Amino acid sequence: MPFISRRQFKILAASAAIALAGLTGFAEQAAAADKIKVGALRFTSHSASFVAFERGYFKEQGLDVEFVFFQAAQPMAVAIASNDVDFGVTAISGGLINLAEKGAVKVIGGALHEEKGIDGQKILVSKAAFDAGVTHPSKLKGRSYGITQPGSSFHYMGHKIAQKEGFAGADIKFKPLHKVGAIIGALKSGQIDAWSIVPHIAKALVKSPAIHAIGDVADYIPDYQVTTVFTSAKNAAGNRDLVKRFLAAFSKGAADFNAALVDKSAGAKADEDMVRLVHKYVYTNRPFEKAAPSIRNGSMRINQGAKLNLKSVQDQLDWFKSEKLVSQAVTIDMLVDKSYVQIY
Amino acid sequence: MSDATIALTAPAEKPVRFRGGGFRTRPLGIISPIVFIVVIGFWELGSQSGLIGKLILPAPSEALQALLELIETGNLWKHLGASLQRLIVGWTAGTILGIGVGLAIALFSYVRAGAQPLVSAIFPIPKIALLPLFIIWFGIGEGSKIATILFGTFFPTVIATYGGVDNVDRTLIRMAQSFGVSWWSIVRKIIIPGAMPAILSGFRISIAIAIVLLVAAEMIGAEFGVGAYILLAGSLVATDQLIAGVAILSVFGLTVAWLIGKAESYLLRWRT
Amino acid sequence: MEIRLKGISHSYRDGGLKVLSDINLSIREGEIVCLIGPSGCGKSTLLRIIGGLELPSAGAVLQVGDPPPTSLNPLTYIFQDFALLPWRTVEGNISLALEDHPIGRKMRTEIIDGVLARTNLTEFRKAYPRQLSGGMKQRVAIARALSVNPAVMLMDEPLSALDSQIREILMADLVELWCRENFTAFYVTHNLAEAVRLGHRVAVLSRRPGKIREIIEIATPLNQRSADSPELGRHQQHLWELLRDEARAADLELANV
Repeated sequence: MPFISRRQFKILAASAAIALAGLTGFAEQAAAADKIKVGALRFTSHSASFVAFERGYFKEQGLDVEFVFFQAAQPMAVAIASNDVDFGVTAISGGLINLAEKGAVKVIGGALHEEKGIDGQKILVSKAAFDAGVTHPSKLKGRSYGITQPGSSFHYMGHKIAQKEGFAGADIKFKPLHKVGAIIGALKSGQIDAWSIVPHIAKALVKSPAIHAIGDVADYIPDYQVTTVFTSAKNAAGNRDLVKRFLAAFSKGAADFNAALVDKSAGAKADEDMVRLVHKYVYTNRPFEKAAPSIRNGSMRINQGAKLNLKSVQDQLDWFKSEKLVSQAVTIDMLVDKSYVQIY
Repeated sequence: MSDATIALTAPAEKPVRFRGGGFRTRPLGIISPIVFIVVIGFWELGSQSGLIGKLILPAPSEALQALLELIETGNLWKHLGASLQRLIVGWTAGTILGIGVGLAIALFSYVRAGAQPLVSAIFPIPKIALLPLFIIWFGIGEGSKIATILFGTFFPTVIATYGGVDNVDRTLIRMAQSFGVSWWSIVRKIIIPGAMPAILSGFRISIAIAIVLLVAAEMIGAEFGVGAYILLAGSLVATDQLIAGVAILSVFGLTVAWLIGKAESYLLRWRT
Repeated sequence: MEIRLKGISHSYRDGGLKVLSDINLSIREGEIVCLIGPSGCGKSTLLRIIGGLELPSAGAVLQVGDPPPTSLNPLTYIFQDFALLPWRTVEGNISLALEDHPIGRKMRTEIIDGVLARTNLTEFRKAYPRQLSGGMKQRVAIARALSVNPAVMLMDEPLSALDSQIREILMADLVELWCRENFTAFYVTHNLAEAVRLGHRVAVLSRRPGKIREIIEIATPLNQRSADSPELGRHQQHLWELLRDEARAADLELANV
């Protein structure tokens, strides 16, 4: 803020708010707006929140949203547990389940979702592995497979692939490398044989001759509930109204996003506008022309009405238990508050 | 005061006030275990009474439980074995190379002029930042893990070694020359023992760095290892296991400090 | 073997501070030559030049005749600060001087035994330097010097770091040693009493740049000299007169640097 001082800015902002309130008739709601913090990663999959914010859907619900950006999903779950952040969207991880068991967080809805027919996560192999005959996921037996850490979604996907192809998960050598960058490096240099990753990264990678795509995760995990919406257990139990308003705004954002980029039912103009909106948050260090294809590539369906595929969540929970990454005592009710959205 | 009163009253005798003492530490062996017990006791009490939230910090008893579980499943030995192997191989190799290069820098002007700025430039680079490169250079097997620890211990050893050599009493070297002692004998019998105190205190630092880097090293495709255990506990927010893992590292640190203490009292027994 | 100094001049950093100017002196076999002078006159520099640890700017140090074949290190120093390796025992320190010579382990042990006996150190052979007093440390250094059977001993204020009682005792020891072995020595000191007790000849060096002002001969045999002898007193008085003005001038000079 080089031109106006903080105080001047406050005065300006206040007068702007009053003017806006007078114009739109939201006077009461705007004045009583609840301040909430929403955790987000700069990924296209978090667009529902960005849309809800940019198009004023949060404001409509009387929510004054501040985004808190994270580098990874894990610290976001911890930040929600410690009440530093109110809402977040992330994959179901061992950490999330353990925090739920401690009574700190609750899953309240669904977000990113694998769907046959829409570009989803891809299974990739290194050139060396491809040349050695790993041209189909069924050949992954005995091969090494990059994951960020045990209990991550990558680990789960690898296991499900093995299961469907009829061999044990333990027959794949999982290599925890902790950073997506490290996995990409290892895959490119042939240190690991395979990996699975969201489409926008996968599509960029297969352009290089060092990496081949051999399958789609959607074929192995039908209706995979990749990410979920979650909040602190305190909010879920004691602040129902706030949670409902958040989900309403989030759903509206998701609907816009799906219409514009997933179903492409809203026309070219809406597509362009949506990509521009998302670009405010994602790939901000790239020019629009370069960012746009990546944003379009990364568009996967965000659940309508934040509805939740409980069957998929249950399957994931069971897998975590079978891998002894979480306590056997965790139940689906500890993890999920089913009272907010449609469960299927 | 008049002269008369002085004559009447004898000068008072009093002891000179003691002003010395202090500034000297005494060995009080029992204090440290007591501090440990008191801190852990308060921690446990706080956790039991609910003063310290479960999420904020697990009770020491829970961490102990996690540790016992590790022992029961037999995984403790796998983790310890994997980590110790990496620490020992990485640290030993880093130390041998470090002493060699440190001596070369200290003894040869050309090496000093060439390598000293290089060491200063590379030493402060966080080795964790180089992990992706290490993966490409050394693979995701033991190579990159050992390399991480090796790089971490190499530089402090180089600096400790040439610093130690620089501080060797020059009169001893002149004495040896006056007796016609050969160059190589001077290095072996005067320079290396003379630099030994500095090299050994360098060991204290390099081993601590090696333990710190263990967690980073085990980020690279490690299935077993104390660092891998801690990383997994962190990602699962299993704070009891996290504390248990960190406690194992602390025990590493204490053991090593004790071993170096022993090595010092043997190698430097000429010191007092 | 005899040492002859011919026209030694020395300055630090070419053309810089001149410390020694045209020194001519010879040290004859079996003779102790003492060198005295005010501080900063270049005594220690001259000693280093004689032993080949430093090169003079001009002049030469000549060795007349060959050292006896049994001498392992013809020109051997004894230092003011003893220069003992703190990490070696008494015998280890002596051994250091011998280890690079091809004489075999047995011979080495024999030599060490011998010099320890000659300096009354046998029962201290396993002691570390830190366990020894200053006088004992210098005895070890003397033993080490003797072990290489030197042709000439170059002694750099060997007693200066010791208190006066120990100095007295060691002086007596040195006299006794000389009477037994007739060693050749060049003995640098700033202590006049030492010079007249130990020197067959005493050379007086002027203040910087050091020149030889006078060389006196003391005829009394070493073992007949004592601290209260009137003859030594006269020599000492004479030396003091020579030195006094030099010392005062040198003192002022240093203060004005």
